[in-house]
Amino acid sequence: MNAVHLPAGVAHATLLLEDLEKVYHEDQPELAVRAVDGISFAVAPGESVAIIGPSGCGKSSLLNILGCLDRPSAGRYALEGRDVSELDDDDLAALRNRHVGFVFQSFNLLPRMTAAENVELPLLYGSAKNSRARALDALDRVGLSNRAKHLPNELSGGQKQRVAIARAIVTDPSLLLCDEPTGALDSKTGKDVLQLLMSLNADGSTLVMVTHDLGVASQLGRAIHMRDGHIVADGPSGAVIEAFRAMEMERNSQC
Amino acid sequence: MLIRETAKSAWRSLTSNRLRTLLTMLGMIIGTAAVVAVLGIGEGARSSVESQIRSLGANLLTVRPASGSSKGVRSGTVTTLTMKDAEALRGIEGVAAVAPQISSNAQLRYLTNNSSASVTGVTSAYFEAKALTLASGVAWTEVDEAAQAQVVVLGANVATELFGGAQAIGERMQISGKAFRVIGVLTEKGASMASPDDGVLVPLVTHQAVLSGQKQLSSIDLQLRSEDSSAAVQAELERLLRLRHGLRADQESDFSVRSQAEMLATMESVTGTFTALLGAVAAVSLIVGGIGIMNIMLVSVRERTREIGVRMAVGARRSDVLRQFLVESVIVSLAGGIAGLALGYGAAALLAKFGGWATVVPTYAIALALGVSGVIGIVFGVGPARRASRLDPVEALRFD
Repeated sequence: MNAVHLPAGVAHATLLLEDLEKVYHEDQPELAVRAVDGISFAVAPGESVAIIGPSGCGKSSLLNILGCLDRPSAGRYALEGRDVSELDDDDLAALRNRHVGFVFQSFNLLPRMTAAENVELPLLYGSAKNSRARALDALDRVGLSNRAKHLPNELSGGQKQRVAIARAIVTDPSLLLCDEPTGALDSKTGKDVLQLLMSLNADGSTLVMVTHDLGVASQLGRAIHMRDGHIVADGPSGAVIEAFRAMEMERNSQC
Repeated sequence: MLIRETAKSAWRSLTSNRLRTLLTMLGMIIGTAAVVAVLGIGEGARSSVESQIRSLGANLLTVRPASGSSKGVRSGTVTTLTMKDAEALRGIEGVAAVAPQISSNAQLRYLTNNSSASVTGVTSAYFEAKALTLASGVAWTEVDEAAQAQVVVLGANVATELFGGAQAIGERMQISGKAFRVIGVLTEKGASMASPDDGVLVPLVTHQAVLSGQKQLSSIDLQLRSEDSSAAVQAELERLLRLRHGLRADQESDFSVRSQAEMLATMESVTGTFTALLGAVAAVSLIVGGIGIMNIMLVSVRERTREIGVRMAVGARRSDVLRQFLVESVIVSLAGGIAGLALGYGAAALLAKFGGWATVVPTYAIALALGVSGVIGIVFGVGPARRASRLDPVEALRFD
C-alpha cells in the first residue's frame, strides 16, 4: 500500500517521499511522538491531491515538511528533485520562496501592507525584477486588480483568501500547498475560492491540500487518507473518500 | 531583500504605533540632549577660563612665599620675599617687568559708607604690566612713591560702592583708619578671575609703611619678553633667590614659582575632568535609553511572531528577519539621537541666553551623538533581532 505511486506515463515527480518519518522529542523516548511514521508517495506535476484524515493523524506535520518549513526525522523528501533533508536554513528559505506557495486557513496577510504589497513580498525576498508589476498581474489572475491598494482589514474573507492565493502563485511555484483554504469562509465564498484553486490547477499548478471537508476533497483528482502517521489509502479521490466514509461510519457504530 | 524595502517596512511598523515609538525614543532623546548640553557647558567653561587666564597675561611668572611646612611644622609668615629680591630679579635676562605686591584686606570708609576690600600695594609699573587703564584720574608716579604718598586708585565696583555716582577723584577716604586721597578710578574689567574691579591699589611703599608695616611681599609678578624663555627664566630665578636666601642644596625653597601656562593647564584639566564626569553621568541615561529600546523590541518581536512566520514561509531568510528588526531599532535610536542633539543645542543656547552660562557645543558632539546613538541601536537591537531570526517557522505560524 505504501508503494510509490506515479501516474502512468509520468517520469518526473514534483514531490517524492520515501519512508518519510517525523518524530517529535526524539531524544526523550517516553515523550517521543511519531507524527509521521513511514510515508511514501509521489505527486506528478499538475496533479491535485487532497490529504484527509482525522485530527492528529499527522497531516499538519506532513504539510510542514512538504512546505520546507520543517525537516523530516528520517526518510527522503525531494521537491523538484532536490533532497530537502540536506539543505540548510537559507536553502530551505530559497526553496520555499521559489517552489512553494502557501495558502493558509487564516489567510496570514500582513495587516499593515496593502494587498499589492502583500503579494509582492515573496518577490522582494527573492530579489525579483519588476516585482510590483508581477504582483499586480497575480492580483489580476485572482480577479482583485481593483483592490490592489486596499489594506487586508478593508477586504472580505473571500477577498483576503484571494490575495493570499495571489501571493502564493506570484513566484510561479512548483507546488501550491493549501491548509484548509476554505475553512474560515462561508460555503458560497469557499466554493468560489475552491473554484479559483481548481482553475489554477487546470492551468498547470500542482495542488496539495489538507482538508477536513470531504466535499472539497472530492473536487480534487486524488486523495490520500492518513491515520496515525500512516497512509491508509491513496488513489482517485472518489474511491478513497468512499472508503473513508465507510470506515468512519463503522467506527461510529462501534462506539 | 533590498535595504530600501527593509527601511520602508521598519518605518511602517514604527509609525503604526506612534506613541510607543515616541516613548521609546524619549530615553535616547533625553540621554543625547543631556550629553550634548553637558559637553556644551564644559567646553564653554574651558574656553572662558582659558580666555580669562590669557587676559591676565600669558607670559607671566608669579613668585610667592612658600606656604611650606618645614620639617612638618608650618612656618607661617616668615619673611622670605622682599623688595630687594624684586630688585634683584629685574636683572634676569628675558624679564621685561617686575611687579612686586602686597595684599591685605582692609576696611574702607568714605563719610558714612563702609566697605571691606582687598588692598594691594603695587609699584607704578604694575599698571602697565597688567594692562590696567584708568576711567578717570591718574596713577601715582615714582615721585609719589618716594614720598610714601597716601594715595589710592579704586577698582570700579569699590568706587561705585563708596561714592555712588559722585565724583571720587580728589576726595579723602580712610583705609584701616588711615587717611588716603583718591587719585584715580580703574576702568571696569567685568567679571573674571582676580578682577581688579573689587579691590583698591595703593603704592607699595605706602602699604608697607602705613598699612601692613611689614617688609614681606605677597607676590612678585614677572612679565617675560617671550613665552619661550619661561623655563630658562624660572631656573635662573630659583637659583638667584636660593642664593639670596642662603639656602643649602638640601633645603627646600622658601618660595614657589608658578607660570601662567601651568595655571592654564591646571584649569583646563579641572574643567576637563568636570566635563568628563558630568558627561559620564549623562551617558548613563543613554544606556537606560538603550535598555528601553531593547525592551520594546522584545515586545515587538513577540507581538509579531506570526508575521515573522509568514515572512519566513514566503522565503525570508533568517538574516532578512535579523536585518529587519535591527534596522527598526537603529532607526528608533538614531531618530532619538538626532532629536536629542537638537534639544541639547537648544538647551545650551537657552542656558547661554537666560542662565548667563558660557556654552559652546563642540562640533564633535554631532558626530558623537549620531555615532553613539547608532551604536546603541545596534547593541541593544541585536538581541531581540536574533531572537526573531531564530524563531522556528512552524511554531511562529502557529502562534496566536
